[in-house]
Amino acid sequence: MNVSLSVARNEGKPRFDAAVWFAHYGTIVSLVALLIVFSLARSEVFPTVGNLLNIMSQISILGTMAFGLTVCLVMGLFDLSIAPLATLGGYVATSLLVNYPDAVGVPTAILIALAIAAAIGVLNGIIVSYLGISAFIATLATGSIITGAMLGVSDSRTIISGIPDEFMAIGQGTIMGVPNPVLIMLAIGIVLWLLLEHTQLGRQIYAIGGSAEASRLSGIVVKRYAPITLAICAACAGLGGLLAASVLGAGRPQGVGDTYLLNAFAAVFIGASTLRPGKFHIMGTFIGVLLIGVIDNGLSVMGVPTYWQYVVQGVLLLVALFSAGLLTMRRR
Amino acid sequence: MPGSRQAGNTMPIGDVAISARDANAPPAPGGARLSAVDPAIVLEVKELVKEFPGTRALDGVDLQIRAGEVHALLGENGAGKSTLIRAICGASQPTAGSIFVDGAEVTLKSPQQALALGIAVVHQHFNLVPQLSVGENLLLAGTLPRRAGVFVDWGEIERRARKLLERVGLKIDPKTEVRNLRPDQNAMVAIAKAIGSDAKIIILDEPTAALLPDEVAVLFGHMRRLAAEGHAFVYVSHRLTEVFEIADRVTVLRDGRRAGTWARAEMSRKTIIQAIVGGDKAWSDEIVAQDAATGAVVLAAEGIAGGRVTDFSFAVRAGEILGIAGLPGSGAEEALDLLFGRFPTTRGRLMLNGAEVVFRSPRDAKEAGVALVPKDRHTESLLPGASVRENISLPFLRRFAVDPVARFIHRGKERAEALDIAKKLKIKMPGVEASIDSLSGGNQQKAILGRWLASGAKVFMLNSPTAAVDIGAKAEIYHLIREIAASGAAVIFTSTEVEEFPRVCHRILVFRDGRIAGEVSGASATETNIMHLAVGGGDER
Repeated sequence: MNVSLSVARNEGKPRFDAAVWFAHYGTIVSLVALLIVFSLARSEVFPTVGNLLNIMSQISILGTMAFGLTVCLVMGLFDLSIAPLATLGGYVATSLLVNYPDAVGVPTAILIALAIAAAIGVLNGIIVSYLGISAFIATLATGSIITGAMLGVSDSRTIISGIPDEFMAIGQGTIMGVPNPVLIMLAIGIVLWLLLEHTQLGRQIYAIGGSAEASRLSGIVVKRYAPITLAICAACAGLGGLLAASVLGAGRPQGVGDTYLLNAFAAVFIGASTLRPGKFHIMGTFIGVLLIGVIDNGLSVMGVPTYWQYVVQGVLLLVALFSAGLLTMRRR
Repeated sequence: MPGSRQAGNTMPIGDVAISARDANAPPAPGGARLSAVDPAIVLEVKELVKEFPGTRALDGVDLQIRAGEVHALLGENGAGKSTLIRAICGASQPTAGSIFVDGAEVTLKSPQQALALGIAVVHQHFNLVPQLSVGENLLLAGTLPRRAGVFVDWGEIERRARKLLERVGLKIDPKTEVRNLRPDQNAMVAIAKAIGSDAKIIILDEPTAALLPDEVAVLFGHMRRLAAEGHAFVYVSHRLTEVFEIADRVTVLRDGRRAGTWARAEMSRKTIIQAIVGGDKAWSDEIVAQDAATGAVVLAAEGIAGGRVTDFSFAVRAGEILGIAGLPGSGAEEALDLLFGRFPTTRGRLMLNGAEVVFRSPRDAKEAGVALVPKDRHTESLLPGASVRENISLPFLRRFAVDPVARFIHRGKERAEALDIAKKLKIKMPGVEASIDSLSGGNQQKAILGRWLASGAKVFMLNSPTAAVDIGAKAEIYHLIREIAASGAAVIFTSTEVEEFPRVCHRILVFRDGRIAGEVSGASATETNIMHLAVGGGDER
């Protein structure tokens, strides 16, 4: 049999396979279908520029955190500390600004907050790589420690007064009509997309996620990568919380990140059943985040009680994972 | 009552098995169903054929197992031993041929059915659950005894387990967790489990692989006693010395056929080894040019030790293919891992191009231009789900970095290089962007070799590079290995298939018990000589 290299682009089978197609495009189809349904149902409210920007704005914090989470999940590391890390990001920044208004400017406060979050991520990674504790458990533990430390330091008091306007402007301002948090989320998405898809680091993270042993035997020092990916994830979580604090105009010492934890995982896993079944990737995560945002917004626009949103999201996640799993099962 | 309950459990299964067998048995003319004249023959296999796409793993194998005997089954990897065992224990269905249990023809559709007929397999790793107690493991297969139909009756479990342990002569508490047992106790618990399911024929698949010599002796003692009680053992092993010690009869398989069966009195080391390797095949067309490599010494070691390797010295020259042979567990395979820095050396010196080097990690070895193709392609070398391109470029990605900081990868250059090596090695694929999973085993392996060729490695360490690869691809890989050597690289080769060494290597070092037992090259590099050195006690020849 001769090698036919021209076939490279269309990836094999000319025959249409419904399961394969569904595994690749099922989530995108659902997203489009939902957009159509909501638009038809509430044509005067849903499909407006204002509402679409509103959706983007609503998902910007979730998106920022989910993009970061994607990076460590590519390597197979579950980071459960993103919720307390988000809380920490917002609280540290506001607390610095309020307590040291003369010494600390907004950029410095942001840098310090993100650096602390990243440092905790590095610590998570060190625990995973060098103490051999699974990321799932390690981040659960450090997350609990962060939560406790935050409550202790803050004395459970929310910071409300004294937050400078420049800080609030980050979350509440717009550039050419687009809310800042949306732009920040997109920027993070693009940077991490470039990182994962087009740099040596990203390719090595994918390689380790594919087979850690094969990567090790190819000369990649696998242990160094957990601190890197978990730090990226932690910094994104911190940034998400910081945006939340800026939008709210308050630095809460607890519970900020909790609402995002499950949705972030849901978005990343929905993403892993989009376009490239079984693989985590930024584009997929973005579609996952959009899907969650559209469902939340659409259902509330239609006046469906909030509890339905959770049910619909759960069902959607299961369907998405099933369609991706269907394909991997068949591959065997 | 435990006794009646057990009978109640096994009977229906037996009935189902028998009726299924009746339904499936072809109406054999001439009353062929009762073929075994000798009532002592508990298991008979006739003309068994098993075909896989492209190969015939079993090609008309006959085998008779008598009650109370230990029957060793020998053969090289790929000779058909495991295929035969899988057919006997119901794990796979033969393409043709028949199996008789106690003289009646049976169709074994599942391991459960085989077990109901008294055929049990004890696998190499014993299939025990380490976290559960001995008692739970022993009774796990059946329905656990209950109180009031709901709660597990732990007292009853202990009583039954104690009984079974007594039968195999093992003095341990049934409440002991399996993970706390010695390997020989593990083996005996697995055997007790088989006996607990009323097995008459117990197939032991390399039971001594993890055992120390004195543990083997204990196991053999128990086996002899159980055989005297009428249990038949089919004993699969690579260790010839052990086979001579325990086996009443030996059957050797070669290339899916029975090469012969010998009773204890007729067995000699020489005949058995000859039967295993099939005479001294010459492979004149395949054999490597035996002219000694004249290049400079590339990699040399003095007294290296670590893991199973206790003392290893060698020197390999540019252009040379050096074989490291040895039975499983002898240290031959671990020697390569040790040289590549997969685990630390405890002693010895390693010299690369005349300068001493220490490889603390695979990265160090790779940076020095050493490559390792590990044995298990799927868990150790492939990136599943990734493209052919990504699989090839893995060790030398940084070559395509556009800038020194962010290290953006120039995908065009990467693709060109992957395509180039794929063409050179004639890798059959839909394209470099196709998933590596869509390639055949042989082409996957070529991609792995290509990965290291493209990386510019100067020392190639290959562990069973033709494992799970079809015949045609094997020849291509042999050819490729020769080309790698001819290009001036040093090749260190090991394999679980002894016959490959004379075909591939210029010179072969044979490991036994962690050290080199001898060296063969040129005309003396025959499978027989390698086996003698690997097995030891060659004085019987």
